[in-house]
Amino acid sequence: MTDTPDIAEMRKTPAPNPIWSRVSVIWIVPLIALAITLGVAWNSYSGRGTLIHIDFADATGINPGETVLKFREVTVGTVEDVGFTPDLTSVRVGVRVNKDVAPYVDKDARFWLVRPEVSAQGISRLDTVLSGTFIEGWWDAKPDGTQTEFKGLERPPVAPDPGKGTVVMLSADDASGLAEGAPILYRGLTVGRLQNLRLNETGTGVVIDAFINKPYDARMSGVTRFWNTSGISFSLGPNGVNLSMRSLATIVQGGVEFDTFSSGGGAVENGQIFRLFADENTARASIFGSDLVDPPHYTLLFDAAVNGLNKGSKVQFRGVEAGEVSDLSIRVQTDSTGEKFAQQQVVIALSPERLGLSRDADAATVTGFLEQQVEQGLRARIAGTGLFGTTLVVELTDVTDTPKAVMGLNTTPYPSIPTAAAAQNDVAASARDVFGRINALPIEDLMQSAIRTLDSISAIADSQETREVPRNLSAMLDEMKTLVAALNAGDAGQKAVTAIDGLSTAATGFMAEIQGLDQTLDAAGKAANAVAAMPLEEIGRNIDGTISQIRAMLGAQDAERLPKALATTLEEAAALLGELRVGGAADKLNDTLVAAQGAANGIAGASDRLPDITARLDQLIVDAQGMVNSYGDRSDFNTQLVGTLRELQRATQSISSVARMIERNPRAFILGR
Amino acid sequence: MSDPVLSATDAGLTGCTQCGRVWPMGTARCGRCGSHLHPVDTRCLQRVWAWWWAGLAFYIPANLFPMLRTSTLFGSQENTIAGGAVELAQHGSWGVAIIILSASILIPISKFVAIAYLAFAVRTPPQAAGKRHLLLYDIVEFIGRWSMIDVFVVAILSSLVQLGFVASIHPGPAAAAFALSVAFTMLSAQSFDPRLIWRGPQSTSAT
Repeated sequence: MTDTPDIAEMRKTPAPNPIWSRVSVIWIVPLIALAITLGVAWNSYSGRGTLIHIDFADATGINPGETVLKFREVTVGTVEDVGFTPDLTSVRVGVRVNKDVAPYVDKDARFWLVRPEVSAQGISRLDTVLSGTFIEGWWDAKPDGTQTEFKGLERPPVAPDPGKGTVVMLSADDASGLAEGAPILYRGLTVGRLQNLRLNETGTGVVIDAFINKPYDARMSGVTRFWNTSGISFSLGPNGVNLSMRSLATIVQGGVEFDTFSSGGGAVENGQIFRLFADENTARASIFGSDLVDPPHYTLLFDAAVNGLNKGSKVQFRGVEAGEVSDLSIRVQTDSTGEKFAQQQVVIALSPERLGLSRDADAATVTGFLEQQVEQGLRARIAGTGLFGTTLVVELTDVTDTPKAVMGLNTTPYPSIPTAAAAQNDVAASARDVFGRINALPIEDLMQSAIRTLDSISAIADSQETREVPRNLSAMLDEMKTLVAALNAGDAGQKAVTAIDGLSTAATGFMAEIQGLDQTLDAAGKAANAVAAMPLEEIGRNIDGTISQIRAMLGAQDAERLPKALATTLEEAAALLGELRVGGAADKLNDTLVAAQGAANGIAGASDRLPDITARLDQLIVDAQGMVNSYGDRSDFNTQLVGTLRELQRATQSISSVARMIERNPRAFILGR
Repeated sequence: MSDPVLSATDAGLTGCTQCGRVWPMGTARCGRCGSHLHPVDTRCLQRVWAWWWAGLAFYIPANLFPMLRTSTLFGSQENTIAGGAVELAQHGSWGVAIIILSASILIPISKFVAIAYLAFAVRTPPQAAGKRHLLLYDIVEFIGRWSMIDVFVVAILSSLVQLGFVASIHPGPAAAAFALSVAFTMLSAQSFDPRLIWRGPQSTSAT
């Protein structure tokens, strides 16, 4: 047994154990994993884009997390939430926009919902039926400060990208027949669309944005004219019926066509304003340039009626067409005594160019010019032109002898030009009057009655009794000849001269009385006026009635017998003459003449009672004078009588020829041959 | 000391982790299967933790990012794991919802908890709960692969449902993260040396 000293136990200290040897390499894995996870987290956080809010009227088909925002058909964002605006009137859609496009979503950005749409031009965006509604946005390429609140458009804009054409503004009186998205035609090609139909600021017209695609926008110039081609136009002219219609879309949605009729006019800029004419003819004919959207307007106040003046009636400036009537209305005014009266308010539009001013003269310049002219006597008045002056125009012309007047610069709605009384065309007025009365005459009835009357007359003329009248007459004349011979034998001439002296005395008294007749004549004149004022229609009816009565009379049995009675009368007269001749009539006649002389003296005495019997005396004088003349010139008496009879015969012939003519051609009764 | 357990290390032996044959301490190779023999060492816990953390790191995005992208005629839809399960439940497919929920959320989370618990438990000396720990480890080992069910579902759907614009399903970024997470937790479980359950933490100082 060997005792070995205990070897002091070696103190073992653990070998220095550096941390890297104690730590396993495997720890790299979680570090990498952590790095990757954090990287992904950071990436997804930093890249999640900007949240913008768009307000829409409704959110049809918008689903959070599904509905996307597209720009040029590329998805650039997703709807994150759908809420409401604080007042609950619209839907607020929160859209997360990709980071790379977010800077461009500035105040120019526009957003609208894309949905399938069925319109007159066809069905569009049918793809969205399957893919669902999406929001489309448009913004320009200039980052201009990101904005996060937007108002969505009600409907997709016609042309989201203004770089693809030119937008001009059309100004029209009304938008009749036009609808949003209506086509713009150029020589029948659809080259653009209308959008944003809206009232202008003052509410007096309509403003429409017209987008014309490239390259057609180069077809426009400053003098291009736009007109409405909505619906179907129908016109009847010397070339027959003209029916013109454009595409189906223009019938349903309306449309606008443009063309450049004249050269000149500079290039068109975005936003330039053009006038929209009602139709092509107006567009071609208008004296207002298409760039003259709002010509200077003036108010004219007329006291007299302006019946016949229409919207669109011409305005002539010293005989040159310089404008048109744009509005007609009534304005009730109160005069100094507080009485109300109405005036015709006519609003006219004037073309500065036609007034001799520069093309682009503004309203103030035109007003200044007119003020100067008014100072020199320029007045507005209504005048008639055309064949019978039926076409009324407004005339701006120098009127002499008018009181001085100035323009009413404060008149509403436009400055007023002083007016003068209408230049009435007398011929025109009376012609109108005559035509009016002729129109009112019952000519047809009159004609019928006349035809029937003439039938009756010709029946009488043809009758046997009528034909016997001349023979009886000649017999009577024979008798008269014998009687006259007997008269000549007696001293009738001398007696007659005495009688004439008496009569002339009576006539002298009578002449004195005639002076007093003036008043009577005045009264008669008034009566005549009254007769003239009598409605001709009524007179016509009376005439008609009278003629009917005449016809009835002629048609009656008695009238048929009239010629027979006449013949009988003539026979009796001949018998009487025979008796006279036998019974010493000449002597009795002498006595009669003496008595007549006495009577004449009596008449001269009684002349103060004449007014009562003026009319009868007048007739008597005429008869007596005729008779006296015949008696005075003996050789003449026979001739006169024979002439008279010849006249009578001719008259009878004329009547029968007239009757025959009228029978053949009744119209001649009214119109002459 | 109650119910002391004689572990192989205490007996001066080292067990082969592949075939289970014990060799004297210090033997470098298993004479039977030829695999490398290494003593029980708590250093393997580092690997456990490392994989565990890596798995956790991927598990978070796997739940936050969409798992599935479904695009149909009527739009596209992205679903996270939990969102998909909730949606299935809303459609009435409670069974499928529960399967997905347990396979994709319940199992991975319990796996994380179990591995962490085991890794902590082996550091405390008493080995009384050794049997329970071993059972837990076996369960974790066995059930871990089933977490991949979600990834399989996504993979199968993606390959089957490719009808062009009518309907198509694509895996989302979460699918990859989830697969990685599951793989890492499996690696973590595998890195755990079950011998530690019996061996206890004193091994390092003993060698």
